[in-house]
Amino acid sequence: MRAGERRWGGWRQPAGIAVTVAFLLPLWFMLSGSLREPGQPPPRAPELIPRPLSVTSYDRAFDLVDLGLHTVNSLLVAAVTVPIAVLVASLAGFAFLLVAGRARAILVGLSFAALMIPITALLVPRFTMFRWLGLIDTWVPLIAPALLGLSPFYVLLFYWSFRRLPPELLEAARLEGMSPFSMWRRVAMPLVRPVTIAIALLAFIASWGNFIEPLIYLFDPDLYTLPLGLRSLETLDRTNYPVLLAGAVVATVPVVLAFAIAQRYFLHEDRGAGWLGR
Amino acid sequence: MLAPYLFGLAALVAAPALVTFGLAFTEYDLLRPPEFVGIENFRDLLHDDVFGIALKNSLVFALIAVPLRLGGALALALLLHRRFTGVGVHRSATALPTVIPDIAYGLVWLWLFNPLYGPINLLLRWQGDSPTTTAWGVQPPQWLTHPNDARAAIIIMSLFTIGEGFVILLVTRQGLPAELYDLAALEDATAWGLFRRITLPLMAPILLLLLARDTIFSLQWTFVPALVVTEGGPPLYSTTYVPLFVYRNAFEYLRYGYAASATLVMFLLTALIVWVQWLIVRRWRKGFAVG
Amino acid sequence: MARPVSRLALEGVRKRFGETTALDGVDLEARDGELLVVVGPSGCGKSTLLRCVAGLEAVDAGTIRIGERDVTAVRPAERNVSMVFQSYALFPHLTVRENIAFGLVVREEPKTVVRERVAEASKLVGVEELLERRPYELSGGERQRVALGRALVRRPDAFLLDEPLSNLDAGTRVQMRTELRRLHREIGSTMVHVTHDQVEALTLGDRIAVLDAGRVRQVGTPDEVYSEPADLFVARFLGTPAMNVLASEAARPFLEIPAGTLVGIRPEHVRLAGEGVPARVDLVEVAGSDAYVFLDSDLVARVASDARPSEGAEVRVAFDRKGLHLFHEASGRRVPGP
Repeated sequence: MRAGERRWGGWRQPAGIAVTVAFLLPLWFMLSGSLREPGQPPPRAPELIPRPLSVTSYDRAFDLVDLGLHTVNSLLVAAVTVPIAVLVASLAGFAFLLVAGRARAILVGLSFAALMIPITALLVPRFTMFRWLGLIDTWVPLIAPALLGLSPFYVLLFYWSFRRLPPELLEAARLEGMSPFSMWRRVAMPLVRPVTIAIALLAFIASWGNFIEPLIYLFDPDLYTLPLGLRSLETLDRTNYPVLLAGAVVATVPVVLAFAIAQRYFLHEDRGAGWLGR
Repeated sequence: MLAPYLFGLAALVAAPALVTFGLAFTEYDLLRPPEFVGIENFRDLLHDDVFGIALKNSLVFALIAVPLRLGGALALALLLHRRFTGVGVHRSATALPTVIPDIAYGLVWLWLFNPLYGPINLLLRWQGDSPTTTAWGVQPPQWLTHPNDARAAIIIMSLFTIGEGFVILLVTRQGLPAELYDLAALEDATAWGLFRRITLPLMAPILLLLLARDTIFSLQWTFVPALVVTEGGPPLYSTTYVPLFVYRNAFEYLRYGYAASATLVMFLLTALIVWVQWLIVRRWRKGFAVG
Repeated sequence: MARPVSRLALEGVRKRFGETTALDGVDLEARDGELLVVVGPSGCGKSTLLRCVAGLEAVDAGTIRIGERDVTAVRPAERNVSMVFQSYALFPHLTVRENIAFGLVVREEPKTVVRERVAEASKLVGVEELLERRPYELSGGERQRVALGRALVRRPDAFLLDEPLSNLDAGTRVQMRTELRRLHREIGSTMVHVTHDQVEALTLGDRIAVLDAGRVRQVGTPDEVYSEPADLFVARFLGTPAMNVLASEAARPFLEIPAGTLVGIRPEHVRLAGEGVPARVDLVEVAGSDAYVFLDSDLVARVASDARPSEGAEVRVAFDRKGLHLFHEASGRRVPGP
């Protein structure tokens, strides 16, 4: 703190609290809304905590739609998608580093261009392709994008992180005769752990929340992932808010948990006094 | 090492993209083989009122939402970059809404925006004179049942998902050399002066990158909210955005060639906007090369 | 250029960062117009000291005076000091001219004044040719000059320099050292220069303050501090190679010292010719006109290069009596005698 400064923690604190409250409000209402009794007359005044509290909406949600199965499905899909995506993205990002000059620039440029392509442009050809392969109504089309690391964004993130490592490390590894794969495994990856965790989290969020692709590819309700389950809930009983929100809560809890665990690794890095480390 | 990625890129991104752009010139209903019709689709688009509305909606949305989102992300990053008690909580809270599945997120807002019983209007009417007016004596927005209110609703929804930009700007700000700020303290720069002379110029490259990315994102993001919350209504397509337009034409009306042409238009438009932004970046960057 | 002069004083300054004490009761004065060098090893608190004087850190206890003013609670901008940072802290997006003018522009000085002062300052530091360039186009030495120019342009009461030469290569460093001395002579302001390099300290300062673990060990002219070190730390810190220090056991062949004391003798006072205690030469390092002789008894001697013995030779070692220093073993403080 500088001389003559007041504890500026002063005005940032209340502002920070205001921000937290604002951003948590939707989640709060999701939870509180789900705890209302379905079928009760709607509230007349804003209420933060519903009275009476009840979890009937959850029972109802699980009755109307096989939410339990859908949750498991989502988990299975994510369990396969995320590791593959992280693997492919990190390998590719590292490979960018090894490829020199011109070729590298092309790869990076291509990745950026790919980022810009709207998903709507990809839907029908992919659909046709998978139909031709007989893979409609399976989970394969959902997992397949993991093959490209789920998104060029992750590849670029890995590339960028690897690039920030001191080049001497990799040169030393090369001198030791390490294969590129070894270098990736033993030198590069251990050093970018926060990034890996962040990307794994992002991939999980993407896979777990993926709505449009399951919407197109899945017809058998037993194969539905959770977002589709929620959609079913909505089409079945659109104004039954407690039930809808109960579904939303079920869909949200796992990602929030994953986020809570993972964010410790990358959200609390604070360089504070600059790189000289006073 | 690159093999899976390149294969994936080719098979799942490049090829489909090219196919779509090719299909833009055909009439295709997914059942019979595509039928080449030249630029007829594009002519139809020009005359299609719904597409015109969709395009306008998408552009207006991007125009309003992107600056608000970026500005919000920047403000939050500058607020929360220093360490103080509880800052971790505030940072996490900001990022949390981005984590929720789009559809769950949509359902919450469906509830929040309910004009009669949703928490937002209940709060607004709380101190009102009558059961239908707010504390200021006017009707609260009817959200999902009125065209402009619905559009406002979609914009408000997009303001809470600025977590990603926030994190990027936060990390950027923390990486700026502390000494420049020390120097400014010695030279008596005010808070605004600091922002104008140091923070903004040094963060400009990242800001402009985020601008491009957020523009692209905004033009595509509206799909889930439009489908789940407003269903493209209220009547007469007030919240039909281009992604929803494309989806409906492709999978509900089975007019894929037509949808493809709309996609092509949107892609070109996006590319145009980003290109213009890039030109502006280049002019600025000439002054920002870091030693 | 006008000659604003001011003395700087720290009285009983304490500063802690969490558990660590960075400054432990520092009393120090930089006199009117002098170049005071604060020197010490990494982590001794010298940077913190400077930042406290600048006001970039608030002190936990003690006072800071600039001139006659008590500035302990005054904001950095109102203390009227300028600082030069180790990494120059030049704005990458501004030209040299704009960088130098920064302080004046922020204070909204009229354009004519700005133009005039920038011209003056850039001439003093020799960067008139570079005014339209940007920092990334300049060499380390040039950037350093720009940073100096920026500090000068505001005509502050005092200058604070935080290891400004540490980031330069050896050759430029020596050159800039001379530049700094010249500059100081020309403008005559009070300057506090912080460094970890003891050679820099000895050559640059009017007076030197040796700092260790947040305490001032000794203040004096380079001569005083070198030839009459107040304690073991100062004695060993200054001088290359470091002073030889012997306990009474090892010293016995040469002289008797009281129990509980240590004797120190600098390499240049160790004689290898003539009478003395036998020893063998382990290693000889030639550094231009001097040679450093490392003996098997852990002593180091400095001799003229052309008079140096060869490695493995047997020599006789004696101490020049006028170069002896006696220190109290437990406290490290200097003891008079022998």
